[in-house]
Amino acid sequence: MRMKWRVHVENYGFLLPSFLLTAVLGIYPIFWAMRYMFYDYKGYGDMIYIGFDNFTRLWGDELFWEAVRNTIVYAGGKIAITIPLSLIIAVILDRGLKGRNFLRALYFMPTVISTAVIAVVFFIIFNSYNGLLNQFLLKNRLISGAIDWLGPDYAMLTVIILAVWGAIGNYMLLFLAGLQSIPGDLYESAEIDGASAIQKFWKITVPMLGPVMQMIIMLAITVSLKGYESIMVLTEGGPVGKTEVMYLYVYKLLFPVSTGSAMIQEIGYGSAVGFATAIIVGVITGFYFMLSRRLNKIY
Amino acid sequence: MNGMGKWVSRGILWLFLLIIALFTVFPVLMTILGSFKSNLELASGATIWPKEWHFSNYAEAWKQANFSTYTWNSLFVSVASTVGTLIVASMAGYVVDRRNFIGKRFFVVMQASTMFISIGAVVLRPQFELMVDIRLNQSLWGVVFILISAHATTFFILMGFFKAIPRDVDEAAMIDGCSFMGIYWRMILPLLKPGLGVTALFAFRNAWNEYILPLVFTMNTPKLQTLTVGLTNLRYGSGAAMQTHLMMAGACLSMLPILVVYFFANRSFMQVTAGSVKG
Repeated sequence: MRMKWRVHVENYGFLLPSFLLTAVLGIYPIFWAMRYMFYDYKGYGDMIYIGFDNFTRLWGDELFWEAVRNTIVYAGGKIAITIPLSLIIAVILDRGLKGRNFLRALYFMPTVISTAVIAVVFFIIFNSYNGLLNQFLLKNRLISGAIDWLGPDYAMLTVIILAVWGAIGNYMLLFLAGLQSIPGDLYESAEIDGASAIQKFWKITVPMLGPVMQMIIMLAITVSLKGYESIMVLTEGGPVGKTEVMYLYVYKLLFPVSTGSAMIQEIGYGSAVGFATAIIVGVITGFYFMLSRRLNKIY
Repeated sequence: MNGMGKWVSRGILWLFLLIIALFTVFPVLMTILGSFKSNLELASGATIWPKEWHFSNYAEAWKQANFSTYTWNSLFVSVASTVGTLIVASMAGYVVDRRNFIGKRFFVVMQASTMFISIGAVVLRPQFELMVDIRLNQSLWGVVFILISAHATTFFILMGFFKAIPRDVDEAAMIDGCSFMGIYWRMILPLLKPGLGVTALFAFRNAWNEYILPLVFTMNTPKLQTLTVGLTNLRYGSGAAMQTHLMMAGACLSMLPILVVYFFANRSFMQVTAGSVKG
């Protein structure tokens, strides 16, 4: 009996630090937000219970739906560029090229660099008036006038380029791991039949990569929909809300982006938007999952 | 395929790889080179190689722009949270892998759920208020505890490594009279070293690069700001002009340590990322 008691103490004692930290700092805040989303609370003064008013307000909040549209453009653009590029790189590197390990390490390097720090660097490079990129393009007469990279027309493109820069290496590595699972004799027999490199890619690599590809794209979707750190540093969602994404909007409702930021903090409404955003991300991912499962059955 | 065609296609492949390599290296290279340029040269923007090497940028960033404080804060947060993460996650992983108890399933599901549910910055608000309540908002310990609380990924990676340690090890030590704690400390942890190594790299990288969390926590306490926060704040400039040369030197200071680590341990970094697909 005494032995039994001791085992319990050991088990739960070892678990306690992990459990406490997760419960208090990981789970509790979610329930906290679930409560506040039914209140009108600005961080000071009274909190007033308003039922589902925050959600009716959300329904008519043009800024939020604009952010939803921007997020889809941002995530879509990032994925549409990153996935094909990293797949092609992975396929090339998988063929045992000279310098393969060096290139792989080089391409993967951006994943260890802070998003915030590299966003500051992009802020300097893409600066419209004296940025390196414009100076370079002007000097070599590739453009006639300075391009306003962080202006309303190009800001989204700049933000996507930054996202692609940080993501290629990561997805290249995931694809490389996936490619290992394709048996080599498939390619050998295809070669005997006289298949070209492009035919091998479309007829063997892509179909055989199916399940892994499905998982990687799903990962890419959730990660891209959630990302807002680099945008916050590079454009703060501007100009005129052109690069405002969902989670950045949530952040702005809860905290000031900079001193003298115009938006008023709205904890109650911000909690409601946070939840709505999590649900939207869940729905999009779920929708993709169903769709890709159906596509997979074709093969 | 004839010889000529083969050379052409090979050339295209290499050109493609080279362009991607340039795209990857360009911002980092510009940061390193830019950190030695004068503010004026950076503002005129036209050069790639510095006309004159201004090593003084680093001294200026280190002293006047407070980067010595930022660096120290970043180091403290990263080291403390890495050590904490490893201890907390390995202890939990050890019991979950080796023992059976009521609530085990619940615990694992709870860990997994923290990885998938994301309501964004909303959670920072109650976290901050909690830290104010226990008076940890005036030091960086609040940030450290929150970083440690996000140890689910480390926990699941370590679980894989625990499975690879044979249970005979525990049993033999138990017969020799070793306590549960003793087995964990003297047998399991040394055998877990490879797993601890790779997860430490990840925990350190995440803490070193963390931005939003320290930003929110140190908004009113500039002396506690980390490298990422201090650097991004330079965007607003002090006075009239943006001090681009200090931003470049600061960016270098925050990139170089992690790049040095990456140079020596890039295989370990890649091993974990690749492992997430193989399952």
